[in-house]
Amino acid sequence: MSKSIQLALLGRKAAKNLLKSSISNQLNSTLPVNGVLSQQKRWKSFYGEPAEFKTTEEQIILANDETASKWKQMPANFFGDEKINSSAGQNVILNFGPQHPAAHGVLRLVLELDGELVRRADPHIGLLHRGTEKLIEYKTYTQALPYFDRLDYVSMMTNEQVYSMAVENLLRIEVPERAKFIRTMFAEITRLLNHLMAIGSHTLDMGALTPYFYLFEEREKMMEFYERVSGARMHAAYVRPGGVAFDLPIGLMDDIYHFIKHFGQRLDEVDDMLTANRIWRARTIGIGTVTAEDALNLGFSGVMLRGSGIKWDLRKSQPYDAYDKVEFDVPVGTNGDTYDRYLVRMEEMRQSLRIIEQCLNKMPTGEVRTDDYKVVPPRRAEMKESMEALIHHFKLFTEGYQVPPGCTYTAIEAPKGEMGVYLVSDGTSRPYRCYIRAPGFPHLAAMDKVSKNHMIADIVAIIGTMDIVFGEIDR
Amino acid sequence: MNLNKLFALKKAAPISRSILFSNNISTSAVSRDYKYVGVREEDLYSGFTNKAVNKILMGELMKGMMTTLGKFFTEPVTINYPFEKGPLSPRFRGEHALRRYPNGEERCIACKLCEAVCPAQAITIEAEERADGSRRTTRYDIDMTKCIYCGFCQEACPVDAIVEGPNFEYSTETHEELLYNKEKLLSNGDRWEPAIAANLKADNRYR
Amino acid sequence: MTSIVQNFRNLALSIKQNGGLYRSILQLYRVDEIKEGEYIGTDRNGNRYYQNKRFFVGRSRWVIYNEKYGLDYDGTHVDPEWHGWLHYVRDDPPTVKPPITYKWVTPNPQENKTGTPDNYVPYSTVKPKIEAWVPKSNKK
Repeated sequence: MSKSIQLALLGRKAAKNLLKSSISNQLNSTLPVNGVLSQQKRWKSFYGEPAEFKTTEEQIILANDETASKWKQMPANFFGDEKINSSAGQNVILNFGPQHPAAHGVLRLVLELDGELVRRADPHIGLLHRGTEKLIEYKTYTQALPYFDRLDYVSMMTNEQVYSMAVENLLRIEVPERAKFIRTMFAEITRLLNHLMAIGSHTLDMGALTPYFYLFEEREKMMEFYERVSGARMHAAYVRPGGVAFDLPIGLMDDIYHFIKHFGQRLDEVDDMLTANRIWRARTIGIGTVTAEDALNLGFSGVMLRGSGIKWDLRKSQPYDAYDKVEFDVPVGTNGDTYDRYLVRMEEMRQSLRIIEQCLNKMPTGEVRTDDYKVVPPRRAEMKESMEALIHHFKLFTEGYQVPPGCTYTAIEAPKGEMGVYLVSDGTSRPYRCYIRAPGFPHLAAMDKVSKNHMIADIVAIIGTMDIVFGEIDR
Repeated sequence: MNLNKLFALKKAAPISRSILFSNNISTSAVSRDYKYVGVREEDLYSGFTNKAVNKILMGELMKGMMTTLGKFFTEPVTINYPFEKGPLSPRFRGEHALRRYPNGEERCIACKLCEAVCPAQAITIEAEERADGSRRTTRYDIDMTKCIYCGFCQEACPVDAIVEGPNFEYSTETHEELLYNKEKLLSNGDRWEPAIAANLKADNRYR
Repeated sequence: MTSIVQNFRNLALSIKQNGGLYRSILQLYRVDEIKEGEYIGTDRNGNRYYQNKRFFVGRSRWVIYNEKYGLDYDGTHVDPEWHGWLHYVRDDPPTVKPPITYKWVTPNPQENKTGTPDNYVPYSTVKPKIEAWVPKSNKK
């Protein structure tokens, strides 16, 4: 047996050791270039002899014909997974991302492939980690707010909303009725924004380019609403503890009404193009099926949970802001696959339109911020005239406001699922601890479970249906 | 709600008829407002003939194609950027500017509220007494690459000196060109004052 | 049918407004489209502004940059006085409602100078806190 074949039989680890060792210098000279080829040819004859994989330094050094004949082939379960009975020998490890356009940001998936079947999916995270939770501990409650925009950067205002509600819970203040309705309305606009992005990029990943453009045109209009109300198209910093930053400008509600009046037609267009489409159905039905039991055990929330048929929506089960004053239905899926989750998203958008319309009709008059100047800065006109207001203004913008000691876990139904903030206050003007429960994290953590034994092309569909945004997963 | 209850709710799900009766048969208050989607036993085209005709003539694909064909005849939604520009509002938060009083005196009194409130710590201020005895800044630097454009500085400013103006066309080729100092910010203010003043006036009642 | 006739009428009108076929082709080369519209005014840089409410918001107001810029037109050539009107912040153009102006307001709006020799270079606006020691030179 020639030395090249011996080397090839060593398996990965042994060969690596061998190359590292000093003896490899001698061997290298005799190693033919087509060593890999001979490995592939001779692999089969040694296949099917499971044994302990053990290589000592001694064995490598004594690499002669007698010892080499006793060596055993590298076991198939070398990577710790169950034994894969495959004639191909070793499974291919494929890196998906972090620069893959369908990876929705900086997701790095390490896929173990058996042919085209995914045997194991291992998501690697941390490429967008900014240390938001730690940073917030060093910011005042006001300053921490813009960080929440940047968590889930396609549903900005709901992130602000959950943080503001957590601070309000600790402060034990109530926001005015108008602020509640504005928050609800913009939370639903945010839901539209997010679901449009989810469905649009989902279809784009799976090869349907057209709905993406139609949906992004609508997103543009909603970003204009964001811009008109807050001054920024995405990172609004609009929902604040104690209400919202500014009142709605005149004419905005009319424009939102005109928008939602026509938006249903745009959804119908997407419906026409996708819902019955045989290609879309072939790509989604039966893909990424999650049973109700699994969905609960894996900590899913939002559409991922409701798509599996579980009736759970925080807007219904513990209504916050103005959700108890509006009527809407919560869509629930039946089969728990990607197609159902797509239908749930579509229906949720239609329900959002209902909520927005009701908010517009029921929008009360009055203040949009609490009048507690210990928490919310006074209006500018007052600040310029009254000394007391000016003092409050200075205190709030330098030191911030003190929040009584305590802790709260406040959660809302963000478009992606349950977005929660666990906020611990020690009585100072900075949070002692701020833990953010991002809905995308458990979804991504279940990647292996959901995508096991799917084809590699379906990985893209599963990432899309999970609606993964890396801002919130890495925080 | 414990898990058993949730599973019990799930068991009702696969019954396709429940889409009709779910509002009537469910008793708990929670499940009243839920509706099932995705009930599909090839519900779209019933009957063998319909299904076969649709399969052969590609009915649903044609429907989608017609939707896209219809778009072909509508007005395009893109704008021709440097000639046409998208709508903005008076609240738009763009490039920073330091403003002046009508007599030309700079507004900033170096109270450092903006520096204190800035979440990204992008603002650096140093102040000294000027020759005429008034307190003014000697250094007012904004690192525009650190700035997150949250607008807290203009909310904090008691004299409306620092504002985020309406300009967003200030992209540069190098990083250092975005490290604005006081002169640059003041010149921005001098340049954009007509627009800034009009915006502040338009948005005055909301602030 | 009427819309097709209308389209041809609009095309003829826009060619006429752009000053003949030759100038329209030039305009097409420079602006990528020719549109007919009401002339609103000219700013301090010599850019001309037009409006036609037939188009949707976003396309209904436009600027034709001064000929002197050639193909090097830039979004920052728009006069700040006209910025608000062009961006639909307000409906009254500066010709109708003159903007506030003071004598210290920059008379000549500047373009974005990045990439040119006169680009902005940051410098410190304060005196250095530490004065470097300059050794006495031995005079020969």
